[in-house]
Amino acid sequence: MGWGGGGGWGGGGMMGGPPGGGRGSPGNPGSGLPFAGIPSELQDGVDKLLVKEPSHGEPKARFSYQMSDDDKKEMTLRSLIVQHWGLGVWALVFVCLVSLANQAGPLLIDKGTNAIQGALTTGHTSGVYGKIALYAFLFFVAIGISGTAQHSQVRTTGRLAARVMNDLRIKIFSHLQRLSLDFYTEEKQGVIMSRMTADIENLQQLLQDGLAQFAVQGLTMIAITVILFALNVKLALITCLAIVPVLTALSLWFRAASERGYQRVRDGIANVLADLSESLHGVRVVTAHNRQRHNVLHHRNVVGSYRDANFYTAQIAAIYGPGTQMLSFLGQVVLLGVGGTMVLHHQLSLGALTAFILYLNRFLQPITLLVQQYNMYQQGHASITKLNTLLVQNPSVPEDDGAPDLPKIEGNIHYDHVTFGYDPETPVLHDIDVTINPGETVAFVGPTGAGKSTMAKLVTRFYDPTEGHVLIDGHDIRHYSLQSLRRQLGVVPQEPFLFAGTVRDNIAFARENVSDDEVREAIRMVGLMEVVERLPEEIDTVVHERGQSLSSGERQLIALARAFVAHPRVLVLDEATSNLDLLSESKIEAALDLLLEGRTAILIAHRLTTAMKADRIVVVDEGGIIEVGSHEQLVDAGGRYAEMYETWISHAEGATAA
Amino acid sequence: MTILSRRPTEDIDLGADFEAPSTFEPIATSARYRAPKANVDPDRAKSWLRRALPVVLAHKGIFITSLVMSFVGLVIQVQMPKILQNAITNVIVEHHGTLTGYVVVMSVLAVFAGFALYISRYFLMRTAYSIEFDLRNIIYTHLSRLSFPFYDRVQSGQLISRANSDIRSVQMYLTFAPSIMVQCSVALVAFGYMLSINVPLALVAMLPMPFVYFLGVEMRKRMFPVSWLIQARLADVATIVDENTNGVRVVKSFAAEQRELTSLGKAADRLQWSYIKDADIRATFTPAVQNLPQLGLALVLLFGGWLALGRHIPVAALISFSLYIVMLQAPFQMLGQIIMMGQRARASAGRIYEILDQPPTVVDRPGAVDLVDCRGDVRFDSVEFKYNDDNPNVVNGFDLHIPPGETVALVGRTGSGKSTTARLLARFYDVTGGRVLIDDKDVRDLTLTSVRGNVGIVLDEPFLFSVSIRDNIAYGAPDADIDEIVAAATAAGADEFIRELDEGYDTVVGERGYTLSGGQRQRIAIARTLLVNPPILVLDDATSAIDVQVELTIHGALRRLMQGRTTLIIAHRLSTISLADRVLLMDNGRIIADGTHSELMDTVPLYGEVLAQGEKEDARRMAEAASHAGESPAPDGFGEFDLDGNRDEEDGIGGTL
Repeated sequence: MGWGGGGGWGGGGMMGGPPGGGRGSPGNPGSGLPFAGIPSELQDGVDKLLVKEPSHGEPKARFSYQMSDDDKKEMTLRSLIVQHWGLGVWALVFVCLVSLANQAGPLLIDKGTNAIQGALTTGHTSGVYGKIALYAFLFFVAIGISGTAQHSQVRTTGRLAARVMNDLRIKIFSHLQRLSLDFYTEEKQGVIMSRMTADIENLQQLLQDGLAQFAVQGLTMIAITVILFALNVKLALITCLAIVPVLTALSLWFRAASERGYQRVRDGIANVLADLSESLHGVRVVTAHNRQRHNVLHHRNVVGSYRDANFYTAQIAAIYGPGTQMLSFLGQVVLLGVGGTMVLHHQLSLGALTAFILYLNRFLQPITLLVQQYNMYQQGHASITKLNTLLVQNPSVPEDDGAPDLPKIEGNIHYDHVTFGYDPETPVLHDIDVTINPGETVAFVGPTGAGKSTMAKLVTRFYDPTEGHVLIDGHDIRHYSLQSLRRQLGVVPQEPFLFAGTVRDNIAFARENVSDDEVREAIRMVGLMEVVERLPEEIDTVVHERGQSLSSGERQLIALARAFVAHPRVLVLDEATSNLDLLSESKIEAALDLLLEGRTAILIAHRLTTAMKADRIVVVDEGGIIEVGSHEQLVDAGGRYAEMYETWISHAEGATAA
Repeated sequence: MTILSRRPTEDIDLGADFEAPSTFEPIATSARYRAPKANVDPDRAKSWLRRALPVVLAHKGIFITSLVMSFVGLVIQVQMPKILQNAITNVIVEHHGTLTGYVVVMSVLAVFAGFALYISRYFLMRTAYSIEFDLRNIIYTHLSRLSFPFYDRVQSGQLISRANSDIRSVQMYLTFAPSIMVQCSVALVAFGYMLSINVPLALVAMLPMPFVYFLGVEMRKRMFPVSWLIQARLADVATIVDENTNGVRVVKSFAAEQRELTSLGKAADRLQWSYIKDADIRATFTPAVQNLPQLGLALVLLFGGWLALGRHIPVAALISFSLYIVMLQAPFQMLGQIIMMGQRARASAGRIYEILDQPPTVVDRPGAVDLVDCRGDVRFDSVEFKYNDDNPNVVNGFDLHIPPGETVALVGRTGSGKSTTARLLARFYDVTGGRVLIDDKDVRDLTLTSVRGNVGIVLDEPFLFSVSIRDNIAYGAPDADIDEIVAAATAAGADEFIRELDEGYDTVVGERGYTLSGGQRQRIAIARTLLVNPPILVLDDATSAIDVQVELTIHGALRRLMQGRTTLIIAHRLSTISLADRVLLMDNGRIIADGTHSELMDTVPLYGEVLAQGEKEDARRMAEAASHAGESPAPDGFGEFDLDGNRDEEDGIGGTL
């Protein structure tokens, strides 16, 4: 139908979805571009929209380390849609209605033209007026059906897409949650991000519009082919033979060429943005080295390559669009020549010729549309493959099927001849055998990279030993559910990570249903009440990304408060070594004393002052335990610890003597 | 930079590469592309379109050709239904003449139309991308001239995002608006033909068209907020994933997977709602916009059929009318689009001009001279400085003289103004009071490039570019040969670890490459500055992340390099301070004590405190470095952009021409 202005090329973009919809908007945040916020000129519209938003209630998704049988099956487009088969069936019904109702127009015009032509030839025009009115009425009805069905179809597929996407987000995110720490250290963060963003979003357009379009176009082609052959087999054959091979060849060329072109364009823009980003982030280095002019030239080259890639795709598009248009003109010429001759020889009615001419474009359009949308399908397919690759990754720290909960623990921790390596070939811990008694505070000390943090990670089951066992109260922790283990441990990481959320959310993170009183109590325990009271909305104050509105000392204290709320039996504390002011420092020490009371604790000590607090000190170096004992014992023993202590004393004196 | 900043704003881009760069500017590339021929009009009083006009006119040749060809092609298209109608009426219905002539004429016209449309489409896209090229370069060139006060104010993320979406929206409007106008004018011609066949029928057939236009406008008005809401909510989801990934240890430690899943679930539900909202709006408008022209066809059948029966029009007119209606549909839809595009483009242009209208604040004075044969005599004379007018002075009455060849350590608490003084020396900022003198010349009377060429500054945050280590070290001296690079790396204690990398000096690092530790990056940054061999050296906390042991091993080399060089060390680590001849203690923006380390230890209590704090800072960084072993904290960068979305949008419009 896209003769005049349309052509195949424009149809999809113009009608399929408005610009800015779906993936069309600039600054797609999921792909790595920063989202620059809603432009001020549109804020009003967005606000109006938000007024209408209902409350969505609590999400139903439940987390489990176990994958359900459904989760284990390979995911395909079909399996995703089948979950919402009701919507899918309705969508199909509407698609059929649209495709069929759309074909009524030319057929009715054909009938009308024939009737008029016949009446004019015979001179009996009176009865034909009614016929024309009937055809026109049927045309109106067809338009009504088509419009209504299309309306329902867009609503249905829109919902279908939205729900499938929601499922997919939950499914992928759940799996990401299941995966163990080694996955997060090995995989680049950008890749993890794009699985949850770009790869999922790639399916949006396909589900919301693409599949329905494929169906409509496919059905339309079938319907028109049937109609054309019904009207006149000979002319239909000639039309198909004259146009279809050329169009197919042109389309195949276009698809291959545009794929190459878009790849170049994508690489080009990625380079442009990366170059811009580096210039901006490294602006101080650029300035310090007088490199501005060099960079201007370099950036021009990068932008130039991008422009050339765009020129290339422009060339391809400029050949394909007008090319198909020319083809449709030539098709008309063929119809006029062949069909016209047939009409002259009374082998064809004038109405049929009219119908052929009107159907011609409707026949060409689906082909060009399908070609352009094939890209979408391919991308969707590639995304699903990537997502499946993620879904088949098994957590390296698995939970046994039906693993029981770890009973309430006393706090006896036993490293039973533990050997461990991030890469099993190169162990970082060798045959560690040490027991920590309930209620005891043990400090791990040793040089950077000795393996002391790794030892702590085995207790929390961030990793499993390559050989040996970690036992808590005599239970091999590998055989119990992860949640029950970790809920009884309190971990304070070195760098306190605060989530973008309120102070309350950050502290109540450890358990569900933490009351405000408990949160306040924890804040009081760490001596942060004064600070929190000064915040604009007290515990409801939103801490900014990475906790920038709080000082690093305050962030440490929040992390400690978080551990307080968890009521852990065993505390694992990777010593915070941030540059704290003296006040925070003393607050932390006080809070720590409270927190350690009556608990088994593992301190990963970076400072000897902290180590001295412990009941026992375990000196670790090169993946093995060198010495174990209390501070006094070890100093007296005159071993490695004594040596470290000696160095430290002299260093500290140098720095703080005054 | 010398020449760049001497030139007035509007012609900076004019052959920036034809001027000889100052001797202090390292240039290791040649431009393969011509600079933009025109710049955005700097006159802020003009409308946004007028200001952008010079950039469009720079491509007027292909642009006008494109419009003309577009017109030609469309006029031919308009002829086609008419010829078809004539052929059917004359030959088939009334049996006058043969079809051959019509077939030949139509074939020739079809080929011509195809060719004209090809040229117009290709040239139009070329214009669009050329304008984009110009805008990107104009903005980049301007950004490269802007001074630090600007960069302190803006977020680079915002700039990048704006540079992407705003340039696109302006460029699209500038090129496609005129072309849509051409199409609309052709629509007028088509309408004229319809009128010439039969006036009432033409009016009836056109009846639904205004509605197509209004509905199109209304749809876009309703769609835009939704699509931005979707963008915002996609960003929310991305934020949750981002935080979850960064904070994965906390999540796992506290077994908070369910909580995280719930918060993602909430964001996903909100996103789902906005997508459904989007579908509902499309469901309301798309069928209407697409079916209204069909309504015109039905009306033609009804009314035209009636007219044809009465022999007021030929039967074949029904066909040509039908074809015209289809032809007219697109321009009407686009007319609505262009209005929305215009609104967006104006807002986007506003944001682009906001950047272009920023004047560089730290620039060469007229008559500024190069600093040549620098002896390295540095003097701060009652220097005052504040980052902006609302804030108190960061540097306040700062006096310091460093004679040539002396090494001085500047020590002070965080926020005492140490780093700021270093930045003033390299003229990253201009003092708000007092003077900074090099060889007794006020740095403001010297050219920027020569000051920065003589002051080598190693920054606390060692930024590396995504190029090879070799190129990173040669950043300030691209001509350096590999021996010089290795020598600099060795002096900075970097050679050893570089050689252990798989590709040695050719290893690509930075955001898009191999992730080095903080200490390794710092050593490369030191090598980078050492290679330039500046007479004045500033180490701004430049060894803070380097292991103390490693630092000690490079002290020998550093000491040799500092010989005969004026050096300012900003540090808090005892071992680093030991490199200095003299130690200055800074507090509240001024020097409060001056002497050797042991003198200060004995007399100034604050000095001891600051150093003790430094020791802790060190421990933290060490531990951080250790905990990152085997991890890759750097984001993946830009490898995974998905920009098809934008392309679809463009093609949608481009394609309908």
